[in-house]
Amino acid sequence: MNCNQIEEQLIDYLDNNLDQKEHRVIATHLTTCNSCQESLQELQLVFGGIDNDPVELPDASMKVNFEEMLQKEKEILSDSKIVSLRKNSKNSWKTVLQIAATVALIVSAYFYGKQENNESFSQEMAVLEKEKVQLKQEVTISLIENKSASKRLQAVNYAEEFEKPGNEILKALINKMFYDDHINVRLAAAEALTKFSDSEMVRKALIDALEMEQDPGMQIELIQILVSIQEKRAVPSMEKLLQNEETPSYVKDQVTIGLPSLI
Amino acid sequence: MKNLTDEELMILVSNGNLDMMSILFDRYHIRIFNFLLKMTRDRDISQDITQEAFYKAIKYRTSYKKGKFSSWIYTIARNIFSDYYQSQKNKDQPLDEIEYKTEREEANGIEKSEIKEQLNRALGQLNQSDRELVIMNRYQGIKYQEIAEITGSTAGAVKTKVHRAIHKLKDHYLQNI
Repeated sequence: MNCNQIEEQLIDYLDNNLDQKEHRVIATHLTTCNSCQESLQELQLVFGGIDNDPVELPDASMKVNFEEMLQKEKEILSDSKIVSLRKNSKNSWKTVLQIAATVALIVSAYFYGKQENNESFSQEMAVLEKEKVQLKQEVTISLIENKSASKRLQAVNYAEEFEKPGNEILKALINKMFYDDHINVRLAAAEALTKFSDSEMVRKALIDALEMEQDPGMQIELIQILVSIQEKRAVPSMEKLLQNEETPSYVKDQVTIGLPSLI
Repeated sequence: MKNLTDEELMILVSNGNLDMMSILFDRYHIRIFNFLLKMTRDRDISQDITQEAFYKAIKYRTSYKKGKFSSWIYTIARNIFSDYYQSQKNKDQPLDEIEYKTEREEANGIEKSEIKEQLNRALGQLNQSDRELVIMNRYQGIKYQEIAEITGSTAGAVKTKVHRAIHKLKDHYLQNI
């Protein structure tokens, strides 16, 4: 070991913190090395000074002050024993209220969000529904003029599905009922119009149709419809059918069955 | 009650038996006061901080967590001292000024303890951290491990720092003679 290393261990040497072997190495070195011996003496001087440093005593008032402070703290403690119970119950109410408020907030947030969602959703749906209806009307009107009888039939069936069809649809249906070449289309149109018999225009059209219609099957259908919607203004046309010699007997039969419930 | 350990007494205090703090005060207030006196060189301030330390120990008794009581009370005293030191710094009134003043007063009074005064001067020349380590270890005889607990370090690091600080103290002391 060189002197630097020895010097670093001198404190532990003085404190007796070294094992026997290390202690002996340093003791031997010290007998031969004057500078390390000097360092040791300097340290001993400092440590001696520190060890002889007298313990200072604080003023006696410190103990008195401490006891006073302790007394006050004890009073606060015994006071707070009563207060703290009240405080605790208050706190527990507070806690309950806080929890309740939290729950209420979460629940209301949930419903608010749900409602918001619903509102915007139903708004969207309404727009979509409206668009769908418009589209369907357009399709129906364009289909209804189609050359193919089956397409026209399909269109009439579409028209029947409308809750509140526009006048355009009704007019198209009436037109079909009057003038379509195909009996099935006329029948379907008449049937579809039954559904919208609240409309005065439709009722009149049905009466007119009975007057104009030559096909017995269609005549029977119209008679049934007019009877079921209780349209009394159809009575004259029905009587006319009875008087007409060309009217097939089964049509007349239908009129005789239907008429009494109208009159 | 007097033969209970510091820790047993402090647990009683934290459970509401405040009278037990009186025994702990008797056991520790002189040591704490001397630690602070060496740090500040001011009797009044040292007494105030010691008082404050025991006041806080009572106030925050429930935060005591079964560690060594001596480490805990030293930690409290240290914190108050460092708050005080900070406030002095902020006031732009260096601690050295107060030290110097009291040093001269004492030097006039007692002549025979010249070595003590030289050492005090050398202590004042150390930085605060070195001074604290020397005071705790050499003046107060606190073990490296416990100093590590108080200062939030490791025993090995504390030992190295203490040895270095002692050598610095020795050098300052020899220069002053």
